[in-house]
Amino acid sequence: MSWLKSAHILFALCLLMGLLALAAGSSGWRWTAVAELVRGDDIVAGLRAPRVVLAALVGASLALAGVVMQTLLRNDLADPYILGLSGGASAGAVSSLALWPGFPPGPAAAIGAAGAAATVRALTRGSYHPTRLLLAGVTVGSLLASATGLVLVLAPRATMLRSATFWLFGGLGTPQWNVLAVPAIALASAIGWTLVRAERLDRLTLGDDVAASLGVDIRPLRRTALLIGVVLTAAAVAVGGLIGFIGLLGPHIARRLVGATHRRLVPVAVLVGALVVMAADTAARTAFAPREIPVGLVTALFGGPFFLVLLNRRNW
Amino acid sequence: MARVAAAGWMTAEPVASETVISAAGLAVARDGRRILSDVTLGVRGGERLALVGQNGAGKTSLLRVLAGLDRPSEGHIEWCGQRLPTGSERTRMLGVLFQAEAPVGFTVRELITLGLGLDGPPSSRQSNLVDAAMGRMELRELADRRCNALSGGEWQRVALARALVAEPRIVVLDEPTNHLDPAHRAELLAVLDSIRGTVAVVIATHDLECAASCDRIAMLSAGTLAAIGSPGEILRPDVLQRTLGVQVRCVPDPHGGPPLLRLLGRQPGYKEHPPA
Repeated sequence: MSWLKSAHILFALCLLMGLLALAAGSSGWRWTAVAELVRGDDIVAGLRAPRVVLAALVGASLALAGVVMQTLLRNDLADPYILGLSGGASAGAVSSLALWPGFPPGPAAAIGAAGAAATVRALTRGSYHPTRLLLAGVTVGSLLASATGLVLVLAPRATMLRSATFWLFGGLGTPQWNVLAVPAIALASAIGWTLVRAERLDRLTLGDDVAASLGVDIRPLRRTALLIGVVLTAAAVAVGGLIGFIGLLGPHIARRLVGATHRRLVPVAVLVGALVVMAADTAARTAFAPREIPVGLVTALFGGPFFLVLLNRRNW
Repeated sequence: MARVAAAGWMTAEPVASETVISAAGLAVARDGRRILSDVTLGVRGGERLALVGQNGAGKTSLLRVLAGLDRPSEGHIEWCGQRLPTGSERTRMLGVLFQAEAPVGFTVRELITLGLGLDGPPSSRQSNLVDAAMGRMELRELADRRCNALSGGEWQRVALARALVAEPRIVVLDEPTNHLDPAHRAELLAVLDSIRGTVAVVIATHDLECAASCDRIAMLSAGTLAAIGSPGEILRPDVLQRTLGVQVRCVPDPHGGPPLLRLLGRQPGYKEHPPA
């Protein structure tokens, strides 16, 4: 199957999933969702539509951040959170919930994620070794995770535990349209940049020496790639909390479908990420309706086993 | 493979005796320790030069400087009278074959295309270069295979095809005959013969037979250029004893080729790294 065909099929699936997600919800199925969307129905247009778009944005962002991180660290097991970003984001979000309970934890989570990544980079100054960066990321991440735990244990109010749990496992909530602007801009610029730099990123995956011998000016490329990966992830956690496995699953599925060149990998990974999170979020909203479960639980529950199947089918 | 010809290069103007790499007073220091000092050498267009020396003699350090991967801590180096450019200009100037590059998930065609150093999809003329490179290395049937599913010999050919695809004026090869069986080694040498005279080739090698096939051999010893000359001048018992610490017997080739060598043993009492 040609890669364009894969991309078209995925795009069609994304549209279908979007419609399905609009139709499904805790207040029951609405098969006339499209008509209600056009009419500006309160539930479909006001509540469900922004939520579905948010799910797509977050999934696409995490999958693309996964591609960028895996290229940057030359490691197939890297994910968007690997450089301590998950620890930083959760520490930020939980602190925000403890200190300003009325305020959404998103901005603090983004700042925490970016701060953790900056710390990791500062700790690994000097010559660039992916392994050093990874180890520093794991260490900073676990330090911040324990700080998160401490805040949760010593939290003044029990109600905070509930909202924190929801956030830590990825809660998309009921967003306003204007909340979507920042992640949308981040995603659009990241897609644009990775496509313009696709061939350089290809060469970067071959290692520093090979990339340099193939005419790549490595340092500026790596610096921008790291910035893009961190901004994408920070924007995604700010609006969606911590949603696991998408950043790992998206790139891997995409690579199996269309191979390793970024010009194909990037659009396909973005579509896969959007599709998977929209599907997972629809399940999270409807499985235990009227109660909602965090979308991160669904992605981990289904993503984990799926990933194991992929692992066993691939020659490493 | 011996019948292959470097199609594109044939149309290029002859590169006779123009200097394509000129290096003067090169020194490399790492962690405050000098690994290489005062190396001055020039490589002419179309020439094949071997870098030979014991482990730790500075071969790899010199090769990395010649390939533009490391900057020398002292001295000056130019390629075709200028600094190495970036992008596709660089790949047209200099190709590199690495010793231990791990194959990745790209297909053979994708990987060789990356050797053009482009910032977008290849034009049809550029695709033709890729086809030519695959034809030259007999890789056409493997074009859509993933590189990490190739055998060692196939991967070596793909890597060499990538180094040559942009039809560079210089190629630098790090231990190209390492890990190759005799048939693949002969194949590699045949490919190098097919570009002799059009591309300057610098080879770091322990393989004295490979070195003997070069126009000149540079002998490195303890971080300095101990001797440089034709195979006839370098592959002699006294020079090899002094620079490599081995005893050899050299027999003239009855067919008129470079001298045949037989390794007799280590030179007793040879100090690997005499004090500088």
